[in-house]
Order: sequence, then C-alpha cells, then structure tokens
Amino acid sequence: MAAGRTADPDAPSGTESLAATFLRRRRLRWIALLGLAVVGAGLVLFSPLIGPVPIPVSVVESILLHQSFQGLLRGSACGAYPTSVRQCTIWVEIVWGARMPAVVLALATGAALGLSGGSLQGVFRNPLADPYLLGLSSGAAMGASLLFVFQIDLASAYLVLPVFAFLGGLIPGAVVYLAAGRTRAVETLVLTGVALAALFSAILATFLLLNPLGDLEVSFWLLGGMTGATWGRAGIVVGALMIAGAVVALRARQLNILQLGPDVAHSLGVDGRRVARQLVLTTTLLTATAVAFTGVIGFVGLVSPHIVRRLAGPDYRSVLPLSAAMGAVFLAAAWDVAQVVIPTVVLPVGIPTSFVGAPFFVYLLYRRRTFTGGPAV
Amino acid sequence: MSIGAAGPPLSLSSLSVRLGDHRVLRDVTLAVAPGELLAIAGPNGAGKTTLIRALLGLVPRESGDVSLLGTPVDALSINERARRVSWMPQEEPPGDNVSLLDYVMYGRYPHLPPFTTEGDSERRIAKAALDEVGLGDRWESGAWEISGGERQRLRLARVLAQETPCLLLDEPTAHLDMAHQLEVLDRVRARCHTEGRAAIAALHDLNLAARFADRIAVLQHGRLVAEGPARAVLSPALLQEVWGVVADLREDPRSGVPYLIPRLRTEVPRPRPPAPGLRVHVVAGGGTGTPVLRQLWEEGFTVTCGVVALFDSDHTTAEELGIPVATEVPFAPLSDASRAEERRLLDHADRIVVAPFPVGPGNLANLEDLMPYAGRTPILLLGGGDWSRRDFTGGAAQQLWARLVATGARVVQSPAELLEVLRPAGVLPGRSASAA
Repeated sequence: MAAGRTADPDAPSGTESLAATFLRRRRLRWIALLGLAVVGAGLVLFSPLIGPVPIPVSVVESILLHQSFQGLLRGSACGAYPTSVRQCTIWVEIVWGARMPAVVLALATGAALGLSGGSLQGVFRNPLADPYLLGLSSGAAMGASLLFVFQIDLASAYLVLPVFAFLGGLIPGAVVYLAAGRTRAVETLVLTGVALAALFSAILATFLLLNPLGDLEVSFWLLGGMTGATWGRAGIVVGALMIAGAVVALRARQLNILQLGPDVAHSLGVDGRRVARQLVLTTTLLTATAVAFTGVIGFVGLVSPHIVRRLAGPDYRSVLPLSAAMGAVFLAAAWDVAQVVIPTVVLPVGIPTSFVGAPFFVYLLYRRRTFTGGPAV
Repeated sequence: MSIGAAGPPLSLSSLSVRLGDHRVLRDVTLAVAPGELLAIAGPNGAGKTTLIRALLGLVPRESGDVSLLGTPVDALSINERARRVSWMPQEEPPGDNVSLLDYVMYGRYPHLPPFTTEGDSERRIAKAALDEVGLGDRWESGAWEISGGERQRLRLARVLAQETPCLLLDEPTAHLDMAHQLEVLDRVRARCHTEGRAAIAALHDLNLAARFADRIAVLQHGRLVAEGPARAVLSPALLQEVWGVVADLREDPRSGVPYLIPRLRTEVPRPRPPAPGLRVHVVAGGGTGTPVLRQLWEEGFTVTCGVVALFDSDHTTAEELGIPVATEVPFAPLSDASRAEERRLLDHADRIVVAPFPVGPGNLANLEDLMPYAGRTPILLLGGGDWSRRDFTGGAAQQLWARLVATGARVVQSPAELLEVLRPAGVLPGRSASAA
C-alpha cells in the first residue's frame, strides 16, 4: 500500500537484514541457554558440598570427577586429600550416593515442571497455568500416595509410583482440560485448578495420616523434597523428561499458532484439540513422574516461562527448552537454599519456591492487562 | 495455484446450520468461480460469519454440502483445508507479542513439511505480504505495538501469505480508515482478477461491496434473499426490506456503479402532518429553492416546484420529498412541454413563491410565465437582493421582477418570514424536531 511502502522491498540488502535479524534472535536463544547451562554446571559442582557432614571441597570435586569417569581415572576417589580409605568410602557414599542424585533429581524435576508450565501456558493460552496451580501435582501426589493405602513397599515401587501418580494426575488434567473449553476468563481456569489442588491435598493428607508410617511423610508430599533421591529415581525422571521433551518440541510451532485461538489455528492447518489433548497428557505424565519422587513443588512451572519470555521472546521454540533449563536451575538452587537456610534442618523444597513464586503469582495477577486468555480447545 | 481439483473453488449447496435452538442458515446455495470476488451483505445476525465458518468446516451442518475446489470440506484434512482456503476472521485473540514478520509467517505453516522450520523463501513471501499492506518497514515491530487498523492489515498480510486459491474475509475493512478500506479491497480484488483466486468478503458497507465485488449476495435471517451483480441487487426496496433503512440509489457517473445514500427516518418522506390546506408552488433553480422546499414540506403545505433541470439540486430535493416538479433537461432552454407542465402546476397553486434563482436566457421563461398570474394568485418573491449577481439576461429578469412587484407581489427577506406570511392566521403548526 502507498503508505509506508519501501522503495524496493526486494532489494538484496533488505533480505540480508531479514536473515541477519533472525540469526540474531536465534543467537539470543542460545546465549540464554548457555547462560543457564553455566549456572546449572555451577550448581552441579557446588551443591554436593551442602549437607550436615562437612566434606572438603577438593574431595567433593575429586569424587564427582572420579565417579563420572568410573574406571578411566586411577587413584583414590578422594584424590590427593590425606584420608583413610574407610573415610573416603563414606564420603563417596555421601557425595555420589546421596547428594548427587538429589541434585540431579532437583534439576530433572525442575526441568520437568518448567517444561510442563511452559506447555500448559501455551495450550491454555493462560499465563497463570502451572502444574501446581492447575492441581496436576496434587492429583499426582494423591495417586502416588494410594500406594500407602495398598501397603506397597515404596523401595520397590520405582515404576509403580509414577504410574499411580499419572493416574491421579489424569483426574485434574481432564477436569482442567474440559473447563478450559468452557471459560474465557484466565482466572476461572486457575481457580478451578486451585480448588482441585486443595481437594486432592486434603485427600492426600487423609491417606497419609491413616497410615501409621505415613504421617512423617506429609510434609514431604505436600511441600516436596529431594530426600528420597536415588540414581534410579533421578534416571526415571530424566527419561520421562526426554520423552516428554521430544513430544513437546515437535509441537512448539503449533503452540505459537495456537495463541491465535483454536479457530484461526484450524484455518492455518493446526488441530488445536489434538495438540491440546496430547500436551495436557504429556505434561500430566511428566509432572506425575517428577511428583512421584519429589512430592508437590509449587510455582516452578509458573515462574520459569515468564522469566524466559523476558530473556528470549515469546516464541515457544525458545520458551519451551529455556523454561526447562530455567526450571532446572531454579529448583536446584531452591534445594540448596532449603538445606542451608536453617542449620540442622532440611526444609521442604516447596518452601523456598513458594517464597519466590507466590509473590510472582500475585504480580502476574495484577499485571493482567497484557494477557487475555481463552479456550484453547 | 490450483490443487488439481475440479469444481468451483467455494461452493455451498442447500446449506442449513443450526446453532443451539437458532437456525442460523437456511437452505443457502452459493458458488464462487475462480477469479471472482463475492461480497456477502446482510444485517447483524443474518448469518454472514456462520456462512464463512461453514466453508472452513468450523460449524456443524444440519444439512447441505460445503466443498472447496470440488472436494467436500469434511473429506479434507485440516492441513489440506488450510492450503485451499485462508480466513481473516472478524476478531481474533491478540496472541503473543511476536514480530510482524513472525506473525505473517504463520500463514506459511500449512505449506511447510512437518518438522521443518521456515527458511528464506518463507521469510520473503511473508515480507512481500507485509509490503503489500504497507507494513513492510515495520516487520520487526511487535504485534502488540501497532494500532487496531494496522492490526487489521497485518491479519490480511497473513491471509495473503497463505497463498490459497480461496480467501474468506470477514469484514476486512473494519477499523480501517477510508484510504485503507479502498486499498485492502483493491488488493483482494487484484488477487482474484489477476491471479484467479476466489474470495468471499462479508462487508457491511454496501457501497464498497458494489464498488469492488463482482457479485453481491444478501442474507437475511439466514436466507439468501438476493444475489447478483450490484446493479441487479442493490435497490431501495431491498434496503428497506432487509435492513429497514430507506435509501436513495444513485449512480457513480465515472464507473456507472450504483451507490446508496442511506437516510435516517427523520430525513425521509413520512406521513404528512395535517395540511393547512394551502398549495404552494415554488419557482426555483440552481439549488436556491431547496431550503424553501424542505421547510414548506415540513410545515405540511402541499408543495409543487418548477421548472428546474434534472440533476439540479432543487430537482433532487423535490424528488426526494415527493414534490411534483416540472422538469427540464439540463442546460437546455425551457421547452414548451416543461412550460406547459409548469403552467398546470401554477394553475392549481394557492400561492406562488419565487426563489432567488439565477436567471439566464434559458430560464427567463420561468419569470415570464408568472405574468399571467400577477394579481390573480398571491406571489411571494424571496430574497430580492443583489440582482447584479444573478441576472444574466442583461436586465430583462430584473424588469420582470419589478413588474411583479408593481402588480402586487410581496418581497420577503427570509424563509422564516415567508412561512409567517404563508401560515393561515391562528394556525401555527409545530415544526418538527428535525427541522430545528
């Protein structure tokens, strides 16, 4: 049109700058990812220092190095530090057998929650969506706690636990999915989720209190923690993360288009219902797997995508991977905080995440002019 | 461009749609040929949007068929539909604050093989579409940082970038300024006429529809009540029936395209107030009679007018008010026929009003013909005033005027004074609000 037309829109310089800007934007994505990777690496290296037993830094790093390349490195796992073999074995057991799985579980769970939050916000076109606020986490925890009712030995329940958690998460997942099809208000969906979360938390607490051994576990299930971490559990969460990550990654472009509403998306060749069903199912599975081993941890999935959008823009192709990275870093850091903030007491990890997340949630509520929700399905 | 299908690009046959308890479309049959732009018009709630959504396969049908390029829409996958038909909805959620170029690139989605990402050619198509709607310079801006009208054009760019053989546009000119309304429809028409695409545009502005569309289809209560070229479809009767609006139909002298001037009810002929009984003939011309004609008509006098040329605004006013008028061909001297008609009207008049019209040799007869009535019918001369400006007869007109005054014609200075003189004593008909 006459107004604002460039002299020659097809000039080579124009195309070049087009491509250049795209590269610049993609670079931004990589820079953010790199930055998060650096922070994550720092957390991996230094988090295992934290714990009731003081272990020298050089010993911890030596153990990490030694155990990571098992069989390739010679000499003592404790390096040059003058210590007895027995002491070293104990330290290896603490660092590699207990602390490190907790760090990896925290990273994987954080990534799972961040990715779930990012996907759910996209699917429901709702910036307040989060596996915790939508009740998925509580439903999953309730499902997992059913094992107590059936008196199944938790130690042998590696895979059974996530399955029960998934079945428990499906209930709020289905309710929220159906509710999203009926309401246009951003808050309605979240309030539905919050109500579900309260309900499932109550059921969960009842299950746990009825069980003679369960009452000690209430704070773990309701506020989360890495205390039960083992390599096997961390591995299951990482595996679920990879599967879910692949599914979600293939849908990122469709999530972008879905922000224009299901009808417009349909006219552009995107089946909004299918995408929504698939992603709600996937995030429920992912959240449930994490919750099965860590309990309910709030707000990681809410906060991460918002920070990430500030860093690298609203394109879901960057929001999703970066949300996972941000969630991983956020939860691993929160786990460190939970261990050090009160000496001799390990706080449930949901406490520090709530201290950050709850005010952020309120901030988002009051900044709502920038968002408008609507049914995605 | 073609997807190798036979049959009209867009077609509906006997389509009925029910949404809840409400039948939104009833037995609508319509087809759009390649290269054709069809406008759908109709009052709010007539079913325009539903018709468009039906073509996209977005509404459940009660009965009837919808096909795109000869294939029933149900038989097409969502992606196949998106490659055949693009849609600019009336409204859509704001989405994310992505760059304008990214937004337009959504239109390329159905053309990309799965699991690939947009390349340079996609970017170039999107950029060209942005250029086409005048937003090319701002392709890096965020979609939340532009105005409502720009947003509308951005959405059109997305539709253009989709490069489908069929386009569905739901009120594409909403929120647009005049220049952009014309340009947007010109773009769409160009896509049809030069590239053979088929388009349906729901338009509220019938004049734009007449101007740009090859055909107009009119919906009322979900029924197709008229369909065809603007000339055949647009009529005051149709507007009255479908929209309940009274309108005058004119013709654009340049293109011959009809256009409508919709009127408020208060502006158009309505049941007359009780007439004071006087029959007033107004001799006018050059628009000088219009205020008098309107006021007399509003006051309820039986008004006649003459002799004025066709297309003279006095003539138009008289026609619109339903006032009998003696008519002459434009720029021609008064003929015997029109003068005879004028005399017939003068014979029946109780009062004669002479508007301050410019007098030339061609219409001097308008004054000459009054002479037989001087002294017989009361004559009111409006304005008097500056003869040097309106006498183009070298003084002949002025002399006739003087003779009329000499034989008892009364000079009044304003339409208000004229009304006072004409009103029968004791009868003061209230003036309607619209005349105030």
